[in-house]
Amino acid sequence: MIKLENINKVYRTDTIETLALNTINLAVAQGEFLSIMGPSGCGKSTLLNIMGLIDEPSGGRIEVAGQVVANYNSKATARFRNQHLGFIFQSFHLINDLSVIDNVELPLLYRQVSGKERRQLAQVALEQVGLKNRMSHFPGQLSGGQKQRVAIARSIVGRPNIILADEPTGNLDSVMGNEIMDILLRLNAEDGATIVMVTHDESMARRTHRLVRLFDGSQVQ
Amino acid sequence: MIKHILTLVWNKKRTNMLMMLEIFLAFLILFSVFTFAINFLRMYQSPLGFATRDALLVQLMLDDGMDSVAHLEMRQQLRREVELLPAVQTTSFNSGVTMFSGSMWTTSNNDNGFLLETCIYHADEQFAAAASLNLVEGRWPEVSDQNNKYAPVVINRRLREAYFGDKPVIDSIIMLDGEKKIMGVVDHFKYQGEFETERPLTFFFLPLHDENLRTLYVRLKPNTPPEFEEELNKTIARVTRRRDFVISSVDADRVRQSRQVWVPMITALLICGFLILNVALGLFGVLYYNISKRRAEIGLRRALGATQGAITRQFTAEVMVVAAAGMLLAILIAVQFPLLAVFDVPAENFYWSILATTILILLVVLICAFSPSRQAAAVQPAVALHEE
Ligand SMILES: Nc1ncnc2c1ncn2[C@@H]1O[C@H](COP(=O)(O)OP(=O)(O)OP(=O)(O)O)[C@@H](O)[C@H]1O
Ligand SMILES: [Mg+2]
Repeated sequence: MIKLENINKVYRTDTIETLALNTINLAVAQGEFLSIMGPSGCGKSTLLNIMGLIDEPSGGRIEVAGQVVANYNSKATARFRNQHLGFIFQSFHLINDLSVIDNVELPLLYRQVSGKERRQLAQVALEQVGLKNRMSHFPGQLSGGQKQRVAIARSIVGRPNIILADEPTGNLDSVMGNEIMDILLRLNAEDGATIVMVTHDESMARRTHRLVRLFDGSQVQ
Repeated sequence: MIKHILTLVWNKKRTNMLMMLEIFLAFLILFSVFTFAINFLRMYQSPLGFATRDALLVQLMLDDGMDSVAHLEMRQQLRREVELLPAVQTTSFNSGVTMFSGSMWTTSNNDNGFLLETCIYHADEQFAAAASLNLVEGRWPEVSDQNNKYAPVVINRRLREAYFGDKPVIDSIIMLDGEKKIMGVVDHFKYQGEFETERPLTFFFLPLHDENLRTLYVRLKPNTPPEFEEELNKTIARVTRRRDFVISSVDADRVRQSRQVWVPMITALLICGFLILNVALGLFGVLYYNISKRRAEIGLRRALGATQGAITRQFTAEVMVVAAAGMLLAILIAVQFPLLAVFDVPAENFYWSILATTILILLVVLICAFSPSRQAAAVQPAVALHEE
């Protein structure tokens, strides 16, 4: 489903050059649930961004769903992100000026979906993460864990076949974390969604199919 | 998407309020200046109705002690001698109220509830030919008409429209300083200046011995050199035996008169130009700042599948919605002017002004919103997301 070949990512600032990813070769099969672990700053988020086509690698080749990605700014890439990818960002990235339900509807906004259907799908997604009673709240009125769950609802609302989750349970207690994990496992098992998840939690990682460890931008396992 | 944009605008009403207010005020100021300018320009467009080129105006100075016979003789001699000059086509005696003199003579008559208010212009029988007036009905009186039962008058089209409508006017009798008979209608006669709003006007005819005929309009053959004034000067000095008369070019008088409107109008338009520039710069700054603050949001939307075009369109539309709200409010106020007719300005001038202001502001807002939106939409999603 996702195939990375010799991926490098270099960040250059005025003073320092960071090799965030160093010759990553990784293939994720369709329907696979992969977890990525590694110390802070080792390049996990960077790797996820590159898989999600929202960051351009400095070198290497990416193939997603059988297609080599060439132009990151094209309409086709935008459509691909919209139809096939679901993101759960490490820092949520909710829009503060939109209510919870409007935030969850966002991915559907860039599809041909009627307003009524959007609302229904968003409600279902919020129900799945247990936030149906917070629909008209604004992100500023939510706790960290609740924001996390809104971000999860947003990532699953469009039924993407690839979900890229950056520490989806990082801000949750173990009960809630397990519930989220259950949702992801169910999406994987029932809908056949391919999932790549970054986590710091060994027990979560153990529930996935495969674990990849990163260290200083290189794959060590 | 439209609903989404409206929701966003509504949720940010506090920040948007200020921008709306700015647009609202800018609209009203621009609207006032545009109305003023359109009004004057439209007046300027309507013809003067008389010849200013190749024409001189002589303000005669006459001895106080002259009786009417002396007046008559002197004028007859003056006319004869001036018209004999090879450069002169024809002449006409007017009163002191002449074109571009800045003075006017008005009179009103309330006859059985029929209130007639009109400006008066005194001239002689040669005036229509001399000044190339355009008579749309009837004819200009001749000397013999002065002995008729009713003194002859000629009115302008404005008076005809204001008081007679579609009724026939030629040979009608009106009460103005006694009974007068209308013999003709001139199309236009903007003797106050090019920017004058034409008012009802009546030409009265004074006999040549009347002491009020103090101005001589001299129509020259085309392309008469300016040196001719010297010759005219000598002739007039010889006939009137005075040297304190004044000769001026009618066209120069026209230009001088119009400058009194052009100068303030161009000044106002320049100030308006600066205002628009100021509003545009302010708007650009605010929008640039607001949009750069939303880089993470742009990154997110791009990650969720928005194309660059969709982002540009959405952000531009948000600004346009706010601007439209401000303009709508201002238009609601602006249309009150023509609706309530508080000023003596044709209603359509207000509507043209509203249209011009709307287009200008829309254009400015569009440019100010479009370019930062477009620029912001072009960032790599991951880069934009990283900035938060
Ligand atoms: N936009 C950027 N500019 C410069 N350096 C960057 C940028 N983004 C990431 N880096 C650097 O790249 C490296 C990897 O960052 P990344 O965010 O992928 O780490 P991570 O593994 O996700 O860490 P964490 O577990 O703390 O989230 C870090 O050293 C970071 O400083
Ligand atoms: Mg990270």
